[in-house]
Amino acid sequence: MSRERRRLLRPSTLAIAATGAIFLVVVIGAAVFADLLAQHPPDRASGAPYQSPNSDHWLGTDDLGRDLWAQLVHGSRVTLLVGLVAAALATALGTLAALVAGWWGGLRDAAIMRLVDLVLSLPLLVLVLVLAAYFGRGQTVLILLIAGVLWARPARLLRAQVLKLREIGHVVAANALGAGAGRILRTHLLRRLVPLLSSQFVRAALIAVVVQSGVAFLGLGDPGQVSWGSMLYFANNASAILTDAWLWWIVPPGMALTVLIVGLAFVGFALEELSDPQLVSHGPAPPVRRRLDPTEPEPPPADVVLELRGLAVAFGGTEVVRGVDLQVARGRMLGLVGESGSGKSALALAVMGLLGRPGRVTAGATMFEGRDLRRLGREGLRRLRGRRIAIVPQAAMSLLNPTMRIITQVTECAASPASGTGGIQPTGAVGEVAERAHAALERVGIPRDRHRAYPHELSGGQRQRVVLAMAVLNRPRLLIADEPTTGLDVVTQWEILDLLDELRAEFHFDVLLISHDLPLVAARADDLAIMYAGRIVEQGATGDLVARPQHPYTRGLLNAVATVSGPRRRPIPVAGEPADPRRLPGGCAFAPRCAHRSEVCSDSDAPLRPLASALVACHHAPLEAPEPGAAGTAGGPGNAGEVAT
Amino acid sequence: MGSQRRLLPRWRHRGVRLVLQYALVVAVAVVVNFALPRLAPGDPSDYLAPPEGGTISLAERQEMLARFDLDGSNAQQFSTYISKLFQGDLGISVRDGHPVTEVVGDRIGWSLLLMGSAVLISTVLGVALGFAAGWRRGSRRDLGLLSGVLTVDALPAFFVGLMLILAFSVHLGWFPVYGAVAPEGLSGWAWVGDVAERLVLPAVTLTCVGLGAVFVVARSAMISELGEDYVFMARAKGLSDRAVRRHATRNARIPVSTAALLGLSTLVGAATVVEAVFSYPGLGSLAFAAVRSRDYPVLQAVFLLFTLAAMAINLLNDLLYPLFDPRVRKVGT
Repeated sequence: MSRERRRLLRPSTLAIAATGAIFLVVVIGAAVFADLLAQHPPDRASGAPYQSPNSDHWLGTDDLGRDLWAQLVHGSRVTLLVGLVAAALATALGTLAALVAGWWGGLRDAAIMRLVDLVLSLPLLVLVLVLAAYFGRGQTVLILLIAGVLWARPARLLRAQVLKLREIGHVVAANALGAGAGRILRTHLLRRLVPLLSSQFVRAALIAVVVQSGVAFLGLGDPGQVSWGSMLYFANNASAILTDAWLWWIVPPGMALTVLIVGLAFVGFALEELSDPQLVSHGPAPPVRRRLDPTEPEPPPADVVLELRGLAVAFGGTEVVRGVDLQVARGRMLGLVGESGSGKSALALAVMGLLGRPGRVTAGATMFEGRDLRRLGREGLRRLRGRRIAIVPQAAMSLLNPTMRIITQVTECAASPASGTGGIQPTGAVGEVAERAHAALERVGIPRDRHRAYPHELSGGQRQRVVLAMAVLNRPRLLIADEPTTGLDVVTQWEILDLLDELRAEFHFDVLLISHDLPLVAARADDLAIMYAGRIVEQGATGDLVARPQHPYTRGLLNAVATVSGPRRRPIPVAGEPADPRRLPGGCAFAPRCAHRSEVCSDSDAPLRPLASALVACHHAPLEAPEPGAAGTAGGPGNAGEVAT
Repeated sequence: MGSQRRLLPRWRHRGVRLVLQYALVVAVAVVVNFALPRLAPGDPSDYLAPPEGGTISLAERQEMLARFDLDGSNAQQFSTYISKLFQGDLGISVRDGHPVTEVVGDRIGWSLLLMGSAVLISTVLGVALGFAAGWRRGSRRDLGLLSGVLTVDALPAFFVGLMLILAFSVHLGWFPVYGAVAPEGLSGWAWVGDVAERLVLPAVTLTCVGLGAVFVVARSAMISELGEDYVFMARAKGLSDRAVRRHATRNARIPVSTAALLGLSTLVGAATVVEAVFSYPGLGSLAFAAVRSRDYPVLQAVFLLFTLAAMAINLLNDLLYPLFDPRVRKVGT
C-alpha cells in the first residue's frame, strides 16, 4: 500500500504567507520611514490637547497635546525592536539549551527539561510583570526579561528535533568517524534545524510583541518610550472610550498591533507548514465525473467478477497506471505482481475509490457486478466498500485504531450503514450484530477472551487476522489483498495466506492478490498478471507463465528468486533501476533494462497481444529458449517451475 | 510527559517518581520566590521604609521590618518564611495590611470563574473548529477558519476588551462595564444574574485569547491522524464520513488535551490584562495592583499560587493521559 505522498506548497498556505508578508512589510516600512511619515515629534506636545483629526494633526492629539499620528508611526519602532530583539535572544538561548539537552542527554537533559516544563507552564505575562516589579521598567530590562521567559518553547521543540536528528544516519556516521562534536553540530544539526528555528523565531517575536504591548498597556512599560501599548494605556486612562476619540485614539494603535501580530502569525504558520515533515495529502479525492461517456459500458460476461477496461490513474501530472485491462474470473484467484512503484497499489485503490489526493482515475472503466464503479459516485462506492468489495491492505501494523477495542472495530463493519448517509443502521439487531462480529473474530482464530483487547496488545499476525475478519464479515463478492503479509515473519505469512484460502473456500469470494513477491503469489494464484511501469506486460495461467515466461521482465523476476529444489543456481536480480513513472522512456518502458531491446522497442510500446495461451506485451516475444544462466534476462524454464513450491 | 526524562533514580512506581519530581520543582519555586525580591536591585525593606526617608524613626522602621519578617539575617528570614508557609501564613499585604491569604482568598473564586468559563468555551469552540478545518485540509472552509481564527487570536486582549465595552456597554448598554458583581447587596437569583451578566464580556475577551492555540493544535492533530493507516482502513471498511471522523477524533484528543492544559498559562497571563480592562477582581488584577504598589508579599503569594497551579495542571495532564491513550495505561513499566 504505497500511498503516494508528495510535498506540495498548497495555494492556501501561499495565500496566507503572502498576506502575512504584506502586513509585515507595512509595519516595517512604517518603522523605517517614521521620520518621513510624521512631521511632529511623538513624545512632546505639538499642539493643544484633545484635538480631533485635522489637517495638521491627522489623528488629532492626546491629553498632553502629542500628535497621535506621530505616535502611531513611531510606535512601530519600539514594538518591532522589542519583539525582534527579544525573539532573537530567546531563540538563541532556546537553541543552546536544546543542543545541550538533546546532544549530551543524561542529567543535564533532565534538569533543563524540568526547568523548561516549569517556565512553559508559568503565565508569561505575569512572570514578566512580577520580574519587572523587581528589576525595573527600562526597555533593555524588558527585552531581557521577555527573552528570559520565552526561550523555553523553542528549547522544547528544538530538543525533540535534535534527538531525532541524532539518530539519523549521517550524524551517527560522522560521530563514528571521529568528527568532533562541535563540527557535527555546526555542519549537520544547525542546517537541518533552520526551518524549525525560523518558525520558532517568528513565533517568539509574536509572543514578545503581545507581552510588550500588554506590559505597556498596563502602564508598566518604559515611561520614556512611545509604543502602541502605551498609546492605549493613555487612551484608556483618559477614558477615550467614552468620547468620540476612540475612533482615532484607540482603533489605530489597536489595529496596528493586530496587523503586526496577524502578519507574524500568518508568516509563522506558513513557515511551520513548510518545516512540517508531514506535508501529506489526505483523504479520497472528490470524484471527477466530467468527461465520462454518457453511455453505460457493456457489462462483462457473467463469469467475470471484476473487469478493468483501459484503467488509467494519475498523481498530479504523472501517470502511474497507464491503461490496464484485467479480468478477475469467477472462482480463479488472480495474482498481480510488480515491483514497488509499478502502480499495482494505485490500481487497487482506484478500484476501491480510495485514491488519496492528488491521485485520480483519468480514463477507463471498472466493471463490477454489471456496473461501472466510476459512475457510482462517492457515496455509492463507499457503500460498496467493505460490503461487496473488501480490501486487506498491507500489514502495516497500524491498520487498527490504537484507541479502540478490536471488537468495536469489527462490530462497526457489521453495523455500518448499508444505505443512506445518516446514522447507524444496523443490518440486524444490536445483539445479532455483535454476535456476528464475535463469530468472525473466532473464525480467524482470535479467542473470545481477546476480543476486548486493544490492538497494541496483539501480535502483528493477530492484527492482520482481525483485518481479515473485518474483510469477510459482510461476505463480500471480491477481496483485494494488497501486500497482505508484508512486515510479517515468514511463518506468519503462510499462516495468513492459508487462512485466506480457507475463508475463500468457506465464504465463496474471489481474490485479487497483489504483491511484489512472485513466488508467494505464484504458489496461491490461479492466474498471474505481471505489471511494469503502470502496464500489464504479461498475463496468463500461473503454471504456463512460470514455466514459459515470454516477457523479458517476467523472466527477470523469476531469475531473481532462489529455489530450494532443482539445480543449484544463484538468484539474479533484475538489472537496472525500476522505471520512474515521472520520466518514462519513449516506447517500451522496460527497454532500458532489457537485454533483448532493439530499435523498435524505443520507437513504440508493445501492445498486449495473445501468444499461445497467454498475453504478452513485447515486440520480441516469443523469446527463444534462453541459454541457462544468461545474466539479466534468461532463466531455465525447467527450474522456474520449482519456484512456486 | 516527563516519562522518559529521569531526574531521580528509577523508582519502581511511576506515580512516586512523578510526585517526587513535582515536589522538587515546587521546592525550587519556593526558594526562587523567596530569593527574587532579595536578589533584585534594592532591598525590599527600602521599598517599605526608606532608611533616610525621614518620615519614620529608626525604631518605627525596625518595628515595620519585623512586621513583614524582614529583620534578621537572610537565613533567619528564610526559615521564618518556610515555617510560616507551612502554617499557611503568607504574610501581610503591604498595601492594606490584611493577611495575604485573605486578600488572595477574596480573589481566587472570581479568577476561577472567569478562567473556567473562558477555558471551557475556548476549548470546546477551538476543538470543534480545529477538527472541522483539519478534516478537509486546504479547502475553502479550512482557509476561512484558519485565517479567521488566527486573526481573532492576533487581536490584543485589551483592544478586544475596549472594543467590546465600547460596543456593548457604552453604545448598546447591554452589559455593565466594571467589576464582577454589583456593589449593592444582591441575593439569590438576582445575584447570579448580575454575576453572569458581568462575566460575559471579560469571558468573551479571554476566549478570543485562548481560541487560537487550541484551534491550531486541534487542526494539526486532525490532519496528522487523517494520514494514519487506521483511518485509511476505516475508509476501506466503507464507514461513513462521520464514522471515519470519529476514528480520527478519538486519537486527535490526545495531543489536544495536552495542549489545552498547557495553554492555560497563556490564558492566565492574558487574564491580567483582561481583568485590568474590566476591573474584574481576580488574581490577575491583584498581581497588577501588587506590582504597581510593590506589595511584594502579595506578589510572592500570587507567584507561588500560579506556580502551584501550573504544577497541578502538569500533574493533571500526566494523570489524564492514560485515559485517552490505552497504550500507556500499563502502570509501572
